Amino acid sequence: MEAAVAASSLRRMYERRRKDAVVALDDLTLTIAQNEIHGLLGPNGAGKTTLVKILSTVLLPTSGTARVLGHDVVAETKAVRSLVGLVLGGDRGLYDRLTARRNLLFWGALYKLDSRTVRRRADALLERVGLAERADDPVERFSRGMRQRLHLARGLLHEPRVLFLDEPTSGLDPVAAVAFRRLVLELRDEGRTFLLATHDMDEATALCDRVSLIDRGRLLLTDDTSNVGRILGDRECVDFVHEDDALARDLATLPSVLDVERLDDRWRAHTADREGSRRVLAWLVERDVLTGRHAQPTLEEVYLRTVGDRGMRV
Amino acid sequence: MTHLSVVWRAFQLQALLSRRSPAHLLILLIAPMQTTSLLAMTLHAHRPDAVATAVIAPGLIGLWVSSLDYAGRVVPEDQWAGRFTPMVAAPVPLTLVVAGRVTAVVLVGAMAFGESWLVAALGFGRVLTVRAPGVFTAAVLATCLASVGTAMLMSGVISLSRARDVLQNSLSYPFYILGGIVFPLTVLPGWVRPLSHLVFLSWSARLLRDSVHGTAHDWPLALATILALGTAALAGGMWLTHRLVNLARRKGTVGHA
Repeated sequence: MEAAVAASSLRRMYERRRKDAVVALDDLTLTIAQNEIHGLLGPNGAGKTTLVKILSTVLLPTSGTARVLGHDVVAETKAVRSLVGLVLGGDRGLYDRLTARRNLLFWGALYKLDSRTVRRRADALLERVGLAERADDPVERFSRGMRQRLHLARGLLHEPRVLFLDEPTSGLDPVAAVAFRRLVLELRDEGRTFLLATHDMDEATALCDRVSLIDRGRLLLTDDTSNVGRILGDRECVDFVHEDDALARDLATLPSVLDVERLDDRWRAHTADREGSRRVLAWLVERDVLTGRHAQPTLEEVYLRTVGDRGMRV
Repeated sequence: MTHLSVVWRAFQLQALLSRRSPAHLLILLIAPMQTTSLLAMTLHAHRPDAVATAVIAPGLIGLWVSSLDYAGRVVPEDQWAGRFTPMVAAPVPLTLVVAGRVTAVVLVGAMAFGESWLVAALGFGRVLTVRAPGVFTAAVLATCLASVGTAMLMSGVISLSRARDVLQNSLSYPFYILGGIVFPLTVLPGWVRPLSHLVFLSWSARLLRDSVHGTAHDWPLALATILALGTAALAGGMWLTHRLVNLARRKGTVGHA
């Protein structure tokens, strides 16, 4: 089956006056299968939005190729635009003085939908994203979360086969975020493909079949979300909560323990293998520490270790 | 769905936006005041022959202001509000959307013609009698069409410019003069006149005044010139809008205001 997205050696540079050009994407090669939810993770300025913009045809690559469902994003712009939906996060991007329904009616025209079709789809989508009761309210009265849902409805209006979502749940309350994720999964069941650019590791873990980590325009890794913990070297871990630092120091002297590190709210002992983890758990129980549990690195840890701790720098 | 349907939907969008944006309707507040000032001066100077100029000028000014100021803001406002990116990502060319929207903006400006006529009739008891109503109607229609073309051109020029505000603020008066809107071109220095032939407003102003007085003997040439200049401006505007999108895609400025 043809890949939903196939980017090959994609490079994008931004020229600057009297300064060196910025490389936003550097030799990026990525394939996303049809019907996949693919997470795109990376810090600010990593190149996530640049990739999304190239794939949705609003930005030209400096070199390399990208195809969406077999269509080249540069040479076959029109075909690509009909197949993809772009959902950008944030407060902006809508006609604030018009109602939600009016907004959708106009955006439908940009996808050449006739009045009857766009009205039918707008009603169905407003119902689906939970905005049916506010359909005739001006968007300027909407909360950020409601705007976000309207963005999604707009992106779905022309029934695209591939959706690019850039920070789609930023600003959504937890209940709305869960509903949003459920909706994405439903849409995937209908046969759609998603590329989800996000900072939200829980969201990526909950939704994505595979994730890619990019930083400074380079692809650092792509793997199944469930396997991504292995990237840290197949390391086994035991997490436990204890107040006494001395206990952690004693634990670190055990032959089966590679190292013990302090996390935000707990300790983590890294072991060489499953047997080592078993011994650590038994050692903890002997000392009346009953909070120990076998663990694997989370996506967030993989992200932080791979991208590194750079604080506020971009 | 045809291209014309897209233009129509963009027109409807702009009509709704203008209705909800008092700033877009400001021209309709200013036109009666302009008519009052110009008519008062004309009557005070005992120049009944200039009444037509005083009544027609606010209509032409309304068209020019809407072409230059409001139409020029259509694309920059979408850029500023973050709507430009999803618009460029859609399969319909941006030129069609801009064309529909500037048409609506220009029609709001054209309403100044009617207002001006009403102010003269009701406020001053001066009912403008048109000796050649057919030519006058054709001239108004051609002027509106040329204004749409010019609005498209202005939208492209202003959107591509780095000094939008300066451009919008500085282009009003020169075109009132070159267009011979407030006074006939014959009173201007000779070297200005060839330049004014390139401005559709100069042909429109003369044809409208002449049709009122029944002296529009060369109306076919004037009408053809108005339409030709409008068409050239439309073509230029469409090319500039297309170039704006391509440039933004190449430079990576699609999301910039």
